[in-house]
Amino acid sequence: MNRRLSALVLALAGLAVGVGATAGEAAMRGVPNPQQARVDYILKCQGCHRIDGSGDDRSNPPMNGVVARFLAVPGGREFLARVPGVSTVNLDDTRLANLVNWTLYRFDPEHVPADFRPYTPAEIGQLRRHPLRLERAATRARLVAGFSQD
Amino acid sequence: MGTLDKLTERLSRGVARRTSRRSTLAWLGAAITGAAAFPVLPVARAASGSPHGGGDGGTHTPYATGNPQDPGDRKSCDYWRYCAIDGFLCTCCGGSVSTCPPGTEMSPITWIGTCTNPADNRAYIISYNDCCGTSSCGQCMCNRNEGDRPQVRPQSNNDYNWCLGTQSSVYNCSTAVIVGVALEQPK
Repeated sequence: MNRRLSALVLALAGLAVGVGATAGEAAMRGVPNPQQARVDYILKCQGCHRIDGSGDDRSNPPMNGVVARFLAVPGGREFLARVPGVSTVNLDDTRLANLVNWTLYRFDPEHVPADFRPYTPAEIGQLRRHPLRLERAATRARLVAGFSQD
Repeated sequence: MGTLDKLTERLSRGVARRTSRRSTLAWLGAAITGAAAFPVLPVARAASGSPHGGGDGGTHTPYATGNPQDPGDRKSCDYWRYCAIDGFLCTCCGGSVSTCPPGTEMSPITWIGTCTNPADNRAYIISYNDCCGTSSCGQCMCNRNEGDRPQVRPQSNNDYNWCLGTQSSVYNCSTAVIVGVALEQPK
């Protein structure tokens, strides 16, 4: 009896974990493959933006708690897909769209708008053809100045 | 004496009759070039014991953990985790494969690559954190560069000094830390 009860508890706990994981991944719209996104982040981004997306304010801008705020200002959505690290990375459009959408949910879930339209591979492919270069920092500063103060 | 003179004369005349000076020069030139090219052939490099340009000629004491899942000598450039490294091995400099020598600071900004572990043939994601703050260690230089890209792709190039985000940008040595397992997909 006791053993059966503990087995039941274990099964329930497993179910809860499974449901939780599924819910977390389902909440990431436009991220068909979160595991792929996590590995791609480690391979292509983490070296400079760091494991928690904190970066620094000199060469690798922070993403933690700020990256999704760009979606709320005009030109911000395009900016995120045109920054050098995104537009010139050696990933195809599908994997890149998966990675960019994942990055928004992973590092700044509270600022992702309720009506957020996930980047599609086609949109990413079109935007990355015009990468930002030296004007990257100035463009970012201009967009950040447009953030609302709340 | 006369016999010796005769013999020498006959030999010299024989050589002069059978060969031309130009063919001798050509033969000599080919031999010299061939001898000079031999040390750069793969066989000679394999025999020399330090295939990746540097090392200490095998005079160090090998350092292995004995863990069958992580085989190899961590002080040798051939150790599997060093497949994309370019620098001095911290294991030879007072640190380890994942820690910096005393008195140096580990850079939080790193060059990241993947290496295949011969024990299970899986690709692991390796972070080559540089140790910074004191001058170059100078021991166990290792330059393998698998997956290295030209400098026009700075985020994928390991010739840059990756001592970024540290107090000092002076490079000492490099570690090779496992940060994940890569997926079974190309690139």
